[in-house]
Amino acid sequence: MLRSFRAIAAASAALLLATACNSASNSSGSSGDPGKGATVRGVTDDSIKVGGIVSMTTASGYSKKDTDLGAKARYDRANAEGGINGRKIDYIGAEDDGQDPGKNLAAARKLVQQEKVFAVSPMSSVTFSGADFLEQQKVPTFGWGTIPQFCSNPHIYGFNGCLVPMPGGTITQSWPEGLAHVLGGAKGKSVAILANDNDAGKFGIRTYQQGFAAAGFKVAYAKASVPATSTPNDWSAYTKEILRSNGGKAPDAVVSVMQTPYNIGLFTALKRSGFKGLLTDPTDYDPGLLAKKTTAQALDGVHVLLSFEPFESDSAQMQQFKEDIKKAAGKDVPLNMHMLTGYMSADFFLAIAEKAGKDLTVESFQKAASTYSDTGTMVGDRALPKGQKEAFGCGALVQLKNGKYEVSSPFKCYEPIPFK
Amino acid sequence: MADLLGFVLSGLVSGALYALLATGLVLSYSASGLFNFAHGATAYLCALGFYELHSGFGWPAIPTALLLVFVIAPGLGWALDRLMFRKLARVGETAQIVATIGLLVALPALGLWVVELLEEAGASVKPAENQFGLPGVGPSPAESWQLMDGVGIDSDQLITWVATAVVAVGLWILMRHTPLGLRLRASVDNRSLVELRGISADRLSSLAWMLSSGLAGLAGVLATPLLGLSSHDFTLFLFVSATAAVLGRFMSIPLAFAGGLGLGVLQNLVAGYASFADDITGFRTAVPFLILFAGLLILTRRQRTAGTAAVDAPPIDYLAGKSWAHKWGPWAVAAVLLALAFYTVTTPFWSGILAQGLAISLVFISFTVVTGLGAMVSLAQATFVTGAAMVAGLLMSHGWPFIGAALVGTCVAAVLGALVALPALRLGGRSLALATLALAFLADQVLFQMGWLRNGDTGWEIPRPVFGPVDLTDDRAMGVAMVVLVVAAVAAVSALRDSPSGRAMLAVRSAPAAAMASGVSVVRTKLMLFTLSAGLAGFGGVMYASYQTRITATDFTAMTGLIWLAVVVAAGVRRPQFAVVAGLVFAVMPPLMSDYVTESAHLPVILFGLAGLALANDPDGYAAAASVRRHRRKAAASSPAPDGGARPADPAPTATDAALQLRGVRAGYDGAPVLTGVDLAVRPGEILALLGPNGAGKSTTCKVAAGLLSAQGGTVYVAGHDATRHGAVRRARAGVVLAPEGRGIFPSLTIEENLALHLPDKAAREAVYARFPRLAERRKVTAGSLSGGEQQMLALAPLLQDPPKVLIADEPSLGLAPRVVDEVFQLLTELRDAGTALLLVEEKAAEILGVADTVAYLSQGKVTWCGPRSEVQADRLTEAYLGIAGAKGSEGPDSEGPDSEGAGSEGPGPEGAGSEEQEAGSAGVNGAVPRPAQPGDAPTPTAADTGDADNGTDTSTGTGTDPSAPSTEVARP
Repeated sequence: MLRSFRAIAAASAALLLATACNSASNSSGSSGDPGKGATVRGVTDDSIKVGGIVSMTTASGYSKKDTDLGAKARYDRANAEGGINGRKIDYIGAEDDGQDPGKNLAAARKLVQQEKVFAVSPMSSVTFSGADFLEQQKVPTFGWGTIPQFCSNPHIYGFNGCLVPMPGGTITQSWPEGLAHVLGGAKGKSVAILANDNDAGKFGIRTYQQGFAAAGFKVAYAKASVPATSTPNDWSAYTKEILRSNGGKAPDAVVSVMQTPYNIGLFTALKRSGFKGLLTDPTDYDPGLLAKKTTAQALDGVHVLLSFEPFESDSAQMQQFKEDIKKAAGKDVPLNMHMLTGYMSADFFLAIAEKAGKDLTVESFQKAASTYSDTGTMVGDRALPKGQKEAFGCGALVQLKNGKYEVSSPFKCYEPIPFK
Repeated sequence: MADLLGFVLSGLVSGALYALLATGLVLSYSASGLFNFAHGATAYLCALGFYELHSGFGWPAIPTALLLVFVIAPGLGWALDRLMFRKLARVGETAQIVATIGLLVALPALGLWVVELLEEAGASVKPAENQFGLPGVGPSPAESWQLMDGVGIDSDQLITWVATAVVAVGLWILMRHTPLGLRLRASVDNRSLVELRGISADRLSSLAWMLSSGLAGLAGVLATPLLGLSSHDFTLFLFVSATAAVLGRFMSIPLAFAGGLGLGVLQNLVAGYASFADDITGFRTAVPFLILFAGLLILTRRQRTAGTAAVDAPPIDYLAGKSWAHKWGPWAVAAVLLALAFYTVTTPFWSGILAQGLAISLVFISFTVVTGLGAMVSLAQATFVTGAAMVAGLLMSHGWPFIGAALVGTCVAAVLGALVALPALRLGGRSLALATLALAFLADQVLFQMGWLRNGDTGWEIPRPVFGPVDLTDDRAMGVAMVVLVVAAVAAVSALRDSPSGRAMLAVRSAPAAAMASGVSVVRTKLMLFTLSAGLAGFGGVMYASYQTRITATDFTAMTGLIWLAVVVAAGVRRPQFAVVAGLVFAVMPPLMSDYVTESAHLPVILFGLAGLALANDPDGYAAAASVRRHRRKAAASSPAPDGGARPADPAPTATDAALQLRGVRAGYDGAPVLTGVDLAVRPGEILALLGPNGAGKSTTCKVAAGLLSAQGGTVYVAGHDATRHGAVRRARAGVVLAPEGRGIFPSLTIEENLALHLPDKAAREAVYARFPRLAERRKVTAGSLSGGEQQMLALAPLLQDPPKVLIADEPSLGLAPRVVDEVFQLLTELRDAGTALLLVEEKAAEILGVADTVAYLSQGKVTWCGPRSEVQADRLTEAYLGIAGAKGSEGPDSEGPDSEGAGSEGPGPEGAGSEEQEAGSAGVNGAVPRPAQPGDAPTPTAADTGDADNGTDTSTGTGTDPSAPSTEVARP
């Protein structure tokens, strides 16, 4: 055994030595500098290669796969309009990361090292372990900024800003202000906020408690107490507490910071126990939910927060969006927010690439991005670098009424408050 | 008060689902002895099926539900039983646990894949994602009624209650009042005894699996409106209901059922009144797992087997005696080639993938330590990985150097491992696995929710280290460094295995009691294994995190740990190299699949899951499968008389009048021959006493004769017909009954039920009671509470009513008081008088000589003397007992190889008694005086006149029961 150990030790030493020499001679040149030489990764004279990362298949049954369709729709239109500065977008589709951190990183590596894309857009998942790699490889990346990595990396952009409030940053007020609009003012109105019993839920409670209070509401109840791993099938424990939280009476509004299955259960239980106040949540804007009687009934009357222009709006760009989606899908498909996520991620990338001009490199792209701003898009007024620190701060509320969504508080941008 | 009532009522809804799932778990556990981790996946599949058929194809709800619950789900259970569980029942517990974990992953992916394929084919299926508030069997949306203020129920809840109540009543009737239920309960009690009674346990197992799957299907259909289509939720639901199964100790269906209901209520009450724990993030989420963990600790206290797999046959060491180069050469070459590849052939992408695979290999090697060396299934490895990486990240954010942070992280993981191990150590097998799983969930939901450790969703950055000129930010350098680390880890684990402490570990693994007796501290050894393994996993975690340069609390969840285990064990958990193979396959296969086979993300998942299926055939994993098979073939080929070709060349006609005859029977347990050519014949109305020292092969002879163990050579005749290839069930049906060592009764059935299994006719049972008033008095008492003598009476009494053709009794007097022994022998004599041929194995030679007609001495796997009782001489007896007769001059147990695989697939694996014999058998005494065996002379005929006038109900086949003059025929050794 001793002999074998010695042999292994000797072999290891030799290997390490070789590694040392090699990495010493390589590390300077190989650390993925895309601007090296005359070629730019993924950019040719007439095309720009772009890929995406999207959670499509997951064990939890939650999928964002229409993000891919949304992005494709936007790129198709760009190409139909002649491309960006003469270059067509070569969108190779989105990799499925299955909400698995390992696969997320592998997908990022594949796009950069194997497919050699210029940019990743859209990236929409609940995990973003590929962020550090993409940043290190200087890959412009656009996606849904619900993950902190969208708030700290120079090459990574959220399509509607960075949605994770950072201490010292700001909190967007579109939800409290929109709700105040619906209720005819916040003064004297009380809200109960409920979230999942985990770190994220606690964080949500912390931010919204501050946001609603700042908007003038009385926060009667704010707890992160709903088990996070699977939906409770009995809500009476929570509804009872909520219904007595406002000094023994029910609060004026119940704010749920949870996912759809939770909201369905909570709202159904609240209604059954006679709650007549306002219900609101940030996730249930999905026309697919209207197709089923149970969900349509459970969510009837609920005000849903969106951070983009509602599909019900009749603006020109919304018309354009619907047309593009229809063309890309080849048929009429029910719209959902994932399509918009993909669409607007692509849109943001295209807008900056356009600004970067004919000489497209990562450097020129970053330079164009650093001063980018526009107004009146479907996600409101976009501005960088502000958008890498805070959300664009725009939002609308829609109410589900009789099987249809109706705008209850129109799409508008609000002044954020400092996050303490 | 209304609150409380409300909590209880609505708690009963989830309670009902828990009860259904727990009942299914208990049923399947009792059928095959394995805890079905995939039970929730079955429920999920049915929910998915219900949704697609009902909402997608527009089939009506109730017929669809009935179709699923009564046809499709049982069909799935049946298929899985045939394909997998039946075989798994015979391999080690680790393989069982892992195979069902594999299914847990594979089944939902399979369902989704089918939906995907159907969609591509243009069928009107609906997408299975993002589905909430699905319609159930009842009206959609559900009707709801307000019972009183704050207490309401809806139609879905009502349907769940009613369906569950119907199932409860139905199950109760089935189990308590039908012959089928009686058999099922008997097979729960003692599977092999059921086979000995001529009831096919395999068929019962199929039935139990069908029932179990049907219950899962029902739970799935009922839970559709509650859980939606999330396989993850279904699996979590199952883990919670495992608590109820634990309550029922995996044995009692009523207890499990009640436990499930209670669990739902308890969970609701805790959720309602847990405001004291508001400050602990994740406490409410963790409640079910707290209950599971506490339940395991409290309820499994009785067995103190300290975490061993029940019987885990050691693997074949196909490399034993090979040179170092032979053992390690190919691996060393592979490692060097891999290291070279990083700088020559692999593209940056593949370099990264390989480095990732190697990093995960380090984690996987930790399974080799805890599961391979220690035979303990740990489902908490992901916790150690996350814990170590988080701590390392936390320290690095405070400016610690990489090495220091990695070391502290590793130590923290080791401490976590010790903490997990301490309470878990006294649990065994599946309880240990479940306890570690519960702790892993607790860590996910409470420990890793702590803000200071978790740092939100950002996690901690773990930059790759740079040591002087070695800069690991380059993937290739990282890869080579990982090769070196992995080689070191493999070498270290191999060295540990071969070291004295490694041998202690292996000793603890195979026989904790024996290890303890030899001065090895079982607890310390197991604790050390767990700690080492956790530390290794932690170190691997830090390296993996540094590969991805960041760790967040959600990177490796408890569920990840489940998948890892399935991947590692599928490759092979006995040697660290196999873990490396597993790691590389785990990293390399998905991109390869997506490049060359299909874009579908489901297929790799299905394949990883189904790798567990292969464990049913190759319990030591695919990496070793080829070598093991080759080795077995070689061993079989080198064995002196290969299987099948060993029929005795003796042209002498078989003794057609013998009720049972063994000719040249050779048998043994994997790798160790016990019987080396046994010749015996018992005639109707004759008692043949088989004597011999400990380890001579007496019990093995009994097993071969009864068909529990198949012979590797030679022939077994039952009533003159070749029955060598018949299993226990067919033998029993042919009238060959074995009363096994110990008591041949079902301890948890009542006396009445024990009798009913053998004597379905009530009149016959009454006759037994008339003959044994002591049994009659206590007919409703469970047999386990009888005294030893009464139990033996109970085992033999029904035979008197319906005398079998052949009774093989293995030490019927064991542990009985002398007075009771006389009674037992009296019974046996009665049986002989009724025409039964008796083969009695005894150690108490003095008593048995009083009843035996013929006596045979068994020594070192051979019959060395056989003759009438009258010729038995005291010195011959002594020699037989000392194991010296015939030792010289006969070959004795030689280097006969183990059986090739496939044979022996009917009977259960080697059991404790057998292995004891193996060891004792090889310790025979040499140099004894040869004592040639003599052909038996006909002894005086015994009275066999009572004939079979009063037992015409005999249903067994075979040649008549004419009690011709008993004689003994023994071939010369």
